[in-house]
Amino acid sequence: MSAVGTPASRAGKTRKLPRGLQGLLALLAVLGPGIISANAGNDAGGIITYASAGSQFGYRTLFLMVLVTVALVVVQEMCSRLGAYTGEGLGALIREQFPLRSGATAMALLFIANAGLTVSEFAGIGGAMEIFGVSRYVAVPVALIGIWGVTVMGSYSRVQRVFLVMGLVFLTYPIAAVLGHPHWGTVASNLLLPHFLHSKAFLFLAVALIGTTITPYMQFYLTSAVVDKGVTPKTYKGERIDTVNGAITGNVVSIFIIIATAAAIGGTGPLTSIGQAAGALKPVAGAAASQLFAVGLLGASLLAATVVPLSTAYAISETAGVERSLSRTLRQAPFFYGLFTVQLVVGAAIALAPGNLVSLVINAQVLNGFITPVILAYILILANRRSVLGRAANGPMFRAVATVCVGVVSILSAVVLVQTVAGWF
Amino acid sequence: MRTTAHTFWLRQRVQVWRERLNRLGRPRFVRRVGAVGFNRVTWLPGRDRAVVRSNALAQVRQKREHVARELFAARALEGSLISLAAVLGTEVRDPDGRKVGRMTDLVVRWTKSQPYPGVSSVVMRAGDDELVVGIRWVTIASPGTVRLRSSAAHVRAPERHPADVALAHDVLDRQVVDAEGLQLVRPSDVYLAHVHGRVELIGLEIGPGALLRRLGPRSLRSRMRPRHVIDWATIGSFSSPRQDGDQAGGRQADLAGRAGTGLVLNASSGEVQRWRASEVQAALEAARAGDAEQSG
Repeated sequence: MSAVGTPASRAGKTRKLPRGLQGLLALLAVLGPGIISANAGNDAGGIITYASAGSQFGYRTLFLMVLVTVALVVVQEMCSRLGAYTGEGLGALIREQFPLRSGATAMALLFIANAGLTVSEFAGIGGAMEIFGVSRYVAVPVALIGIWGVTVMGSYSRVQRVFLVMGLVFLTYPIAAVLGHPHWGTVASNLLLPHFLHSKAFLFLAVALIGTTITPYMQFYLTSAVVDKGVTPKTYKGERIDTVNGAITGNVVSIFIIIATAAAIGGTGPLTSIGQAAGALKPVAGAAASQLFAVGLLGASLLAATVVPLSTAYAISETAGVERSLSRTLRQAPFFYGLFTVQLVVGAAIALAPGNLVSLVINAQVLNGFITPVILAYILILANRRSVLGRAANGPMFRAVATVCVGVVSILSAVVLVQTVAGWF
Repeated sequence: MRTTAHTFWLRQRVQVWRERLNRLGRPRFVRRVGAVGFNRVTWLPGRDRAVVRSNALAQVRQKREHVARELFAARALEGSLISLAAVLGTEVRDPDGRKVGRMTDLVVRWTKSQPYPGVSSVVMRAGDDELVVGIRWVTIASPGTVRLRSSAAHVRAPERHPADVALAHDVLDRQVVDAEGLQLVRPSDVYLAHVHGRVELIGLEIGPGALLRRLGPRSLRSRMRPRHVIDWATIGSFSSPRQDGDQAGGRQADLAGRAGTGLVLNASSGEVQRWRASEVQAALEAARAGDAEQSG
């Protein structure tokens, strides 16, 4: 899966297979950065937000998720296009195309926000393993060593394969949803028609949903991984399928999380911890649902605990201009792997530290809300520029849609940021 | 400060200690057992412990001298080296001191015949217009001031010649890749100097210090401390990660300015020399001595 096969060779190999299977194989061949980054968006923080949406408002947030999916597709498509046509990641393009100071500020904020996220991913790993009765003091170090080994030892294609297998755990959510026996009719009507509530809590949750679905680290990872995979303008067509498909699949998983919790514990109010969500599912949907939830959380956290530090390492190495590729050895790219390792180790250490340090660091997620609009604006400007993308720059229609998406997401993030900061005083 | 008996005594003591340290620093305690020494503690073959310790001290002293020499060279260079980062954004004034515009770029014409290309024109922004002024109408002084020679300078609209390289747009913050395709770093400054009767491109600064200098306040931007300078003569051509291979027939500046392009070195990253301030200064002095001989 290291390179995308040309359509002709692919068709030649699978001529005898039925048409449906052929399509499936073609899809499997292009699977890669898009689906990984979208799945990494369903991380520990994401799952708790979706579960909270389900338990607090039932099925009402589903239509919103459909809208968010559109925005995610638009943003992710721009990112993978930038990567394929320029051969440079987002960090590199920001250094080249924008003033040094603003770029450096964005990178510093990304570094801090991602450090906070890494902590929450390791906390998620610990939490999921504790549902199975394994101490976090065992689970987190083992996960740390595993993640480091797979990432540093393998080439890009091998790391990608591991990521794709990890992504399979997200199948547990549809199963958990079916086990909860939801009202499929209500689900369908909520997916197709808006059922918004006029309340402050609903607005807050809506923004939280957007913020956890469209995150800066996903965009940095996606662009860099497209470059690392070696996608060129010629092979971009397949990559675009992967990106769009990934964004949709990732959000379908999120929608199933909302359905699962809505069916089991809908209307019971907000959740505060992941264990609470899994525990609440137990009496309604049986022990299996709770276990499935934990498996999903574990896979999601493992995936995100790898992708988040990787995105930092990519972004900052690109800004500096030093070698950054998963296909390089430790000696060829010491800065890249060094940054990755430091984030990983510090994240795991803080997640294991006693006291209330974890909740403190998770507050760094607020920073995500602050940098998301900035990064989205950078992406939009870059994808609009003909000097960057040439003929592949955004057309007038796409530009209008993308501007609306970025504008709405930015305004909503700003609203919540102001509210959060005001809440501190 | 008045020199009292007390300060005199203090200075004497400092001198005495300095000498003692110097003596300690010299490898005086060398006791060799045959060709290979033995460690007195572990009795493993290797260098004598005493030797190692005194060498460490000598190294510290050497390092200190080295730092002082580099700092001295860097200060001397502030009068002769031109930093692109310092020049960018400065006001361009005419001979009467009126502001004409702001510097946005320096353009060099890069052909295969010259290892060090000279600046051919200056790009500046006056209001909403981007203007180009030929180098013969402009004086560029170190570390970074630009002045028009005549208020009747010929100004034209920007237009790109195939061999032109716009330093701020095409070189600063772009990628540098070595001969083996390993990405090295992004140059955080570009150095130029008055040599051979013109302003020539000398090298690229790839150290982190220049980056911090650019992030800091403007007033400190001209404080150059060259530490990792790549000689421009080791740069081969421009390349793009999306257009692999066969650059042999093309001009060096062919891909300059495209998104994602970078500079390619002639050598692998291990072989490329990184000049320090003293080496830059030595190279500059050698070039100027050559100039003086030719003219004299």
